[in-house]
Amino acid sequence: MSSKTRNSLLVDVQGLHKAFGTHTVLNGIDLQIHEGEVLCVIGPSGSGKSTLLRSIAFLDPYNSGDVFFEGRLVGYRTTGGVRRLSTERELNNDRAGFGMVFQHFYLWPHMNALANVTEALRVVKKMPRAEADAVGTEMLAKVGLSAHAAKYPEQLSGGQKQRVAIARALAVRPRVMLFDEPTSALDPELVGEVLAVMKQLAAEGMTMMVVTHEMGFAAHVADKVVFMDAGKIIESGKPSELFGSPKSERLQQFLNTWRERSI
Amino acid sequence: MSTAEVMANYGPLLLAALATTVRICFIATAIAMLLGFAMALALQSRSRLLAWLARIYVEIMRGTPILVVLFLLYYGGPTIGLTLDAEPVGILGLSLYGAGYFAEIFRAGLQSIPVGQVEAARMLGISPRHIVARIQAPQMLRLVVPPSINQVIVLIKESAALSIITVPEITKVGAQISNETFAVVAPYLIVALLYWLVVEAVATAGFLVERLVRY
Repeated sequence: MSSKTRNSLLVDVQGLHKAFGTHTVLNGIDLQIHEGEVLCVIGPSGSGKSTLLRSIAFLDPYNSGDVFFEGRLVGYRTTGGVRRLSTERELNNDRAGFGMVFQHFYLWPHMNALANVTEALRVVKKMPRAEADAVGTEMLAKVGLSAHAAKYPEQLSGGQKQRVAIARALAVRPRVMLFDEPTSALDPELVGEVLAVMKQLAAEGMTMMVVTHEMGFAAHVADKVVFMDAGKIIESGKPSELFGSPKSERLQQFLNTWRERSI
Repeated sequence: MSTAEVMANYGPLLLAALATTVRICFIATAIAMLLGFAMALALQSRSRLLAWLARIYVEIMRGTPILVVLFLLYYGGPTIGLTLDAEPVGILGLSLYGAGYFAEIFRAGLQSIPVGQVEAARMLGISPRHIVARIQAPQMLRLVVPPSINQVIVLIKESAALSIITVPEITKVGAQISNETFAVVAPYLIVALLYWLVVEAVATAGFLVERLVRY
């Protein structure tokens, strides 16, 4: 899979800084995601992994640094050397390449599974209902939920909800899928079905950035793993390198704790 | 004079008064809800100025008795070129007053929707207008039915204040009958009964709406 990293650069993060008041959350992050790559971000709670993901998607604006998607700045427009916030409409354009999956799914409870998946197709892409429903049905089939299209979120299990959320994000054909701890809110026995869908996506060549506590997934599916602590990237590389021979003491400690816990 | 006698002698007048109260409250509720919803959106607007103006409006309306609002509009209105008959002034006053309360009810409804649902929509490129119309409003509607019905009932009862600016609604007509007949208990018992009828009708309608908006 390492040959994938020769592919074109999709996401380029440079010198990202973010603070909430005096508390620094991101302290100079540089990160690249290439087309077809699966990048897993691991690290202790509060290390800034989710904030990094949300900053890339511009859900959390950052204080300084740049995020480029295919060479274009995300969240800002630069005119005559002066940077200003993108308008809501421009932001939608900036983000169009991103699909996002949240820890708590955030399906819309008043719509059934199919309607959740087709909503953006209907109101953003202005697709006729029949066409949108066809795409939606295809997406639900992809995540193994064809039989549940008419069900409302409250009638679905956590794993099923998250799979609908994945289908919803995929429906608008994003170039990069951003996963924010997609299995952290799930019962242990439901984690597998979501990871299986993500593995399948990875195998199909989808570019993915996954913030996760699932070390097994990171070890087996990721092309590159990034270990974060206290707002910095401490180590990054192939999963075999990070999990097999961690260089930094902090990562060794993190992995030891994780191994002890998982016994 | 007995209650039955008052009813017999003043039946048509009382019915007309009932109709006036219902008409006024219906129009005022509709305007108050629309204006209140606009205010709720303004309160959560990204524009600080807009949010601030809406907040001032809500605080003024919640902090002023309806009677004072009506007096200011009816007697103070002409000085700023607002010359209206008593009934339109009454409707306007009730609407402006009610909007302050509906704004807070709707704001609470909007805020109880997890922000993640809105973020998910934004990540899909769904416009702010569509987020309100298709994601927030439908869910908010379900949440705000019980407090809104409560607020409509309060408005119906507050509409009694319109009697002071001579609108011939239920309370005004009750007072008029009391003056003409020198009876107090009978006319006001009828007044109470009429309000109770309107309020119960609204409460019943409210339960039906509650069932309708369930999903």
